[in-house]
Amino acid sequence: MVIDLWFIFRVLVFPGFTFIFFFTMFCDWIERKIEARMQNRVGPAFTGPGGILQPFADVIKLLTKEDIVPAGAKRKVFKLAPILAFSFVVFAFSFLPIDGAAVIPNSSFAGDLIFVMALITIANFFLFLSGWASANPYGDIGATRVLTQFLGYDIPLILLALTPAFIAGSLSITVIAANQYLPFALLAPWAFVLFIVTLQAELEKDPFDIPHAESEVVGGLETEFGGGKLAFLRLTRDVQIVFGAALVVELFLGGPYGPVFFGLPEFWYFLWFVLKLLAVVVITEYVTCLFARLRIDQVLSANWKVLLPLSVLSLALTVAVATWIYPLMV
Amino acid sequence: MGKRVQIQQAHLGKASIQVKADATKDAVKALLEANKNAGIVALTGLDLDKKIGLMYHMCTNGVIVTIRTEVPKKKPKIATISDIIPGAQFHEREAADLFGVTFEGHPNPARLVLPDNWPENLYPLRKDAKIDEALAKNETAPSKAEPAPAQNEGDLVNIIIGPQHPALLEPEKFSLTVDGEIVKHVEPRIGYVHRGIEKAAEQRTYLQDVYLVERICGICNSCHAACFVETVEEILGFDVPLRAKYIRTIILELNRLHSHMLLLGHAGLEIGYETLFQYMWRDREPIMDLTEMLTGNRVISSAMTVGGVRRDLQEKDVPKIKTQMVTLKKKMDFYHKLFENEPSFKMRTKNVGVLSKEDALKLCVVGPVARGSGVAIDVRKDEPYEAYGEIPFNIITRDEGDSWARLMVRLDEVVESINIIDYALDHMPSGPFRIKVPRVVAAGEAVNHVEAPRGELFYYVKSQGTAYPERVKVRTPTFANIPAFITIAEGGNIADVPPSFVSLDPCFSCTDR
Amino acid sequence: MGKKSSVSPMIKELLSQLFKKPATSKYPFVKAEVPEGFRGKQVYDPNLCISCGLCSRDCPAKAIEMVEVGGKRSPLFHLDLCIFCYQCAESCPRKAIKSSEFFELATTNKSSLVLKPEGPSQKGECTQQ
Repeated sequence: MVIDLWFIFRVLVFPGFTFIFFFTMFCDWIERKIEARMQNRVGPAFTGPGGILQPFADVIKLLTKEDIVPAGAKRKVFKLAPILAFSFVVFAFSFLPIDGAAVIPNSSFAGDLIFVMALITIANFFLFLSGWASANPYGDIGATRVLTQFLGYDIPLILLALTPAFIAGSLSITVIAANQYLPFALLAPWAFVLFIVTLQAELEKDPFDIPHAESEVVGGLETEFGGGKLAFLRLTRDVQIVFGAALVVELFLGGPYGPVFFGLPEFWYFLWFVLKLLAVVVITEYVTCLFARLRIDQVLSANWKVLLPLSVLSLALTVAVATWIYPLMV
Repeated sequence: MGKRVQIQQAHLGKASIQVKADATKDAVKALLEANKNAGIVALTGLDLDKKIGLMYHMCTNGVIVTIRTEVPKKKPKIATISDIIPGAQFHEREAADLFGVTFEGHPNPARLVLPDNWPENLYPLRKDAKIDEALAKNETAPSKAEPAPAQNEGDLVNIIIGPQHPALLEPEKFSLTVDGEIVKHVEPRIGYVHRGIEKAAEQRTYLQDVYLVERICGICNSCHAACFVETVEEILGFDVPLRAKYIRTIILELNRLHSHMLLLGHAGLEIGYETLFQYMWRDREPIMDLTEMLTGNRVISSAMTVGGVRRDLQEKDVPKIKTQMVTLKKKMDFYHKLFENEPSFKMRTKNVGVLSKEDALKLCVVGPVARGSGVAIDVRKDEPYEAYGEIPFNIITRDEGDSWARLMVRLDEVVESINIIDYALDHMPSGPFRIKVPRVVAAGEAVNHVEAPRGELFYYVKSQGTAYPERVKVRTPTFANIPAFITIAEGGNIADVPPSFVSLDPCFSCTDR
Repeated sequence: MGKKSSVSPMIKELLSQLFKKPATSKYPFVKAEVPEGFRGKQVYDPNLCISCGLCSRDCPAKAIEMVEVGGKRSPLFHLDLCIFCYQCAESCPRKAIKSSEFFELATTNKSSLVLKPEGPSQKGECTQQ
C-alpha cells in the first residue's frame, strides 16, 4: 500500500486539522477584538502582541484545570460527547474548498451540502447529549434549549441553503462555489440576508443567545464540565462559528475564487477565502453587539412564525427569478 | 377612642399619638378610613426596660404619623395589622425576630433577618440580650430541617434562585414554584447580609455612627449618611448653613446619578444586552471621578457630618463638574432614543413584570417602582429637605407599570439630577459650610426621610442625653419593595424573572442591614 | 409591536466606536491619576503631635492604637482596619495627621499594613515601595 503523503499533509496540516484549529483561534481573537472595539474597550491585550495568543491561553488554562465526572452522570457519554461533537464539526469542514479543492482531496460529491448539514446537526446532538448526561437540572434545561433552537432553525437554514444550490444547479459545495460568476449574495440578496439571520440562531449568538444566558440557566449545558472537556465544548462552539461563516462564503460569496494576480492560484484562493470569512465573522459579531437576548418563546416564535415562512417564500422567489430572469441576463 | 388615645407633640410634617396596645389596630383603621392610600413606613421597636415600645410610622399625604404603643416585656403580644395593610408583613416579622414581639394573626410568622439556627429566645435588639454569652457557648437552635420543597406535585417544579446565583449581585434566596413556564408562588428569604448595624450603632458615638451607617449600602452611602445627620440635627435643634445644604444636595444627586446608571447597565446584563452595559458603565466613570474630586473617594463619600459637610466645594472644581454634566446630558439623549427604539430591548422589558397602580399603593412601594406605576411620590417634593425646596425640578412618572417604565423613569431621573446639580452650582450661596455641634446630644428623638435612588429611606433616632444613641432604626427602600417582587413574579413567565427583578433595583445590603 | 418610529441609534454608534480610542486605561502600565484631596495613606508628623489621643478615641474602626515611641505617646495606624475616613485628621487639634495620595496598599504581608510612628525627630513617611 502506498501511503499518500500529500493526502496526509492536506488532512492533518493544511488546510486540514492543524490549520482549522489555529484558524479558529485566530477568528476567536478577531471576534473578541471587534466586539471590544465596538463596545469602546480594548479586548485581549497582553498575551502576545495585541492579545493574539489569548484564545490559546484560554485553552491551555482549561486543560490544566480539574476535570471531574459528577457522581450521577452517565460516564461514557459524559466523557465522549464533547470530543465527538468537536470531531464532527471538524469533519464537516473537510468538504469545503478552502484553497480551490476540498480539504480531503477528491472527496466532494453531489449532495455533500446536505451531508455537511447533517454532520453539523449530529454534532449539536452530541452537545445535547453532553448536557443531558450531566445529572444537573441546569444542564438538562441548557441542553434542551440548544437542541430546540438548533433543530428548529435547521429547517429554514436548509431551505435557504437550497437557493444557491438551485441557481448553481448542483448540491455539491465545490460546484456551487466554483460556479459563481457573480456572487449569489448579489443575485439572491433575500436569501443571503435571511441566511445570515438564521446563522445567528444556529451559532447561538445574540439575539438568540439563550443557551448561554447565565442569569437564567447558570452554565447551561456546560454547567458540570471543567478542564479538558470544557475546552472541547468551547472549541466546538468556536469551530461551529468558523464553519458557519465558511458556509456563507462558499454558498453566497463565491467561495475561495477571486482575482489571481501572480504565482500560485491556490495561494490567492486561500487568501480570498480567509478575507471573505473574516468579513462574515465581523458582520455576525456586529449583529451580536446590536441586540439584547430574546426569551426562549420569542426565539421559537421568531423561527416558526417568521423565518420559516420567509425561507419558503425565498425559495419560491428564487425559483421564479432563476427560471425566467437569469436566462435573460446571461 | 377617647382615653385610649393621646395626641402628642406634632411638628412640621410629623405627628405622633400614643395608644394602648389593644387600640392600635383601630387607630390604623381610622387612619385608613381618612386616607385609603395611607401606608406603613416602618415599625420601630424600642426596649423600654420593663416594656417594649412599638412605633408604627404611617405615611399619609406625605406626613409621617407615628402611632406609639407599648407591650409588657413578659408577654409581648399584639394584634397584627397585616390583614388591613399587607405591606406590614415584613415589618412585623422583623420586629418579631429582633425584639421577640408576637403578632397574633400574622399569616407567615417565620424568621426574616436572623438565620434559621439563631438560638430561640435571644432577641438581639433588647438591651438585656446576652449575645456574647450565647456566642461563647456556641448555642444554636435545633436545626429545623428546611421544609422539604413540595415534591414536584403534579407539574409543579421548585426552582431556587440563590443565595448564590449569577442573576443576583448579593445573596438572598427566592424559592419559586413553577408550573411549566409560569411562576405560581414566590417565597423570599432575606437576612443573608444581616450585620446587626442597628445594634452596632448603639455602641458607637454619633460621630462614629455617621461612618457606620454610610456602610449599610455602598451605592447609596451618601443618602444614609445624610438622613442620619439630618435626624441628629433635628434632635439637637440646629439648622445647618445654607451652603452646606447646597453642597449636600450636589453630593446626593451625584450619588443618584451613579446609582441609576449602575442599575441601567446591570439591567442590560440581565437581558443579555452587553453593549448597553459596557456603554453605560463607561459613561458612569466620570461621575465616580467627580465624586472622588469632591469628597476624596470614588464610592463611599464620607462627606456628611453632624453640622454640615466636611469639605468645602472649591471654585476651581465647578467648571469641571459643569462640563461633565453637559457631556452626560448628550449621552442620555442617546440612551433615551435607544430605550424607545431598540426592538429586542423592548421585547424583553415591555409588559414584563407589570405592577398595577392599586397594587403599588396597597403594598406601600416606594421610589422608581412606585413612580413607574403612576404613583407620584417623591420625598424631595413631598417634604423637601436640604436645598430641594429651593431648586425646581420634575417628578418623573410613567403609567405603564412594567419593567420598561421603571427603567425609563430612572433614565429620565438622571436628566433631572443633572439639572438639579447645574442649578445648585449656579445658585451656590456663600458662607460657612459647617457649624460646631456638641458631642453629647440632649435627650429626644426624631424621624426623618430622604429620597435615596431606590426610594424613601427612613431613619428614627432616639437619644438619652449621652454621646451614644439609644436607638437607631433604619427602613431602607428595598425592604419596602421586596413584597412587590412577589406580586410581580407570580403569574408571569420564569424567563421574565431576571428582568422584572432587576427593574426593582434590589439592594440587599440595604434590605438586611 | 408595530412599526418603530425611528431606527435604533445603536446601529450607527457601534460602527463609529470602531474608530474611536477605547475608554480603557491600561493600568498598571499607565499610572492612575488621583485628584488632590484624595483620601489615601496617612502621613503623620510627630513634631506636631501633642499625644492627646483624640484620634484614637474617635476612630470609627478602632484602627489607631496609642503606643510609646521615644518616650512619647504616638498613634499607630492599623491600615488593615482603617476605613480611610480621616476622622482622625479632623479630630486632631494640631493637624498632625494628613492624607497622601498613595493608595496602592495591596500586599501579601500583613505586617506591612501597620504604620508605625517614627520618633519625634523625623517625619513619619510612607515606608512602602
